[in-house]
Amino acid sequence: MQARSQTAEQQRISKEFAFPGDVDSLASSRQALMDFLAPYCAGEAEELDIFIALQEALANAVLHGCQNDASKTIQCRVEIDPSALLITVRDPGPGFDSGMATESTEAGTNVSQHGRGICLMRSLMDEVSYRHGGTELQLRKLRAASA
Amino acid sequence: MLRVEVHALPQAATLRCIGRIVMGVECEILRCMAEARTEASLILDLAQVRAMDAAGLGLVVELHCKALHRGQALHIVGASRPVCTLMALTCLHSVLDVSGCEEAELDSDDKGLRFAGRYMTA
Repeated sequence: MQARSQTAEQQRISKEFAFPGDVDSLASSRQALMDFLAPYCAGEAEELDIFIALQEALANAVLHGCQNDASKTIQCRVEIDPSALLITVRDPGPGFDSGMATESTEAGTNVSQHGRGICLMRSLMDEVSYRHGGTELQLRKLRAASA
Repeated sequence: MLRVEVHALPQAATLRCIGRIVMGVECEILRCMAEARTEASLILDLAQVRAMDAAGLGLVVELHCKALHRGQALHIVGASRPVCTLMALTCLHSVLDVSGCEEAELDSDDKGLRFAGRYMTA
């Protein structure tokens, strides 16, 4: 683990993942990403931030991008460099208006059972951005030395 | 992984949650166990919950609404620091009956919310 962290400080590391788009696969997908990312986290609190943000990103991709269909695929890319951890989650869905979703979740207390995922991701990560019509999500967490 | 321990008295049942309350089987376990309780008071002990996601927060809201509908009272006690912070981030601590989150509330009032390395103004 120590050697792996030292290597990450010197160069960019990246890895691609592909996961089935159903709820039953969500926990193992998240775990695979966390197994790769955890050694590069600054501590337990940062690891928990990333765990929750990843959970939300994957859940949205499964429910909205894949309609809980295991035959569909969620593509993920993790990039680690000296300044940040960058996670990209891409789903095969039709996309959505991320501006509208952000407004609805941050307008005040949400007393419904849904609609908190984007708000949580934006709170826990340093940068959250949608591209390609909402089908690709990028999560960026600055590394401790550069935050 | 989530384990739920039930401590039942004639008028109150405590569901002690240990692990994570996240989308999937964890949420389903807690939903089933909570909905099966008929006591007048339902207490969710979240002291040993290490992580909760939006689905977990939504489930707590759902249980709160169902308890009101059934004439039950739902109390959330001993929430761990991560859970308190998430409740404060989503403003649910002002809607639900949550005890033990005073420190997180103080953070949100005074200087924004701190989870790990980042502050967010509430």
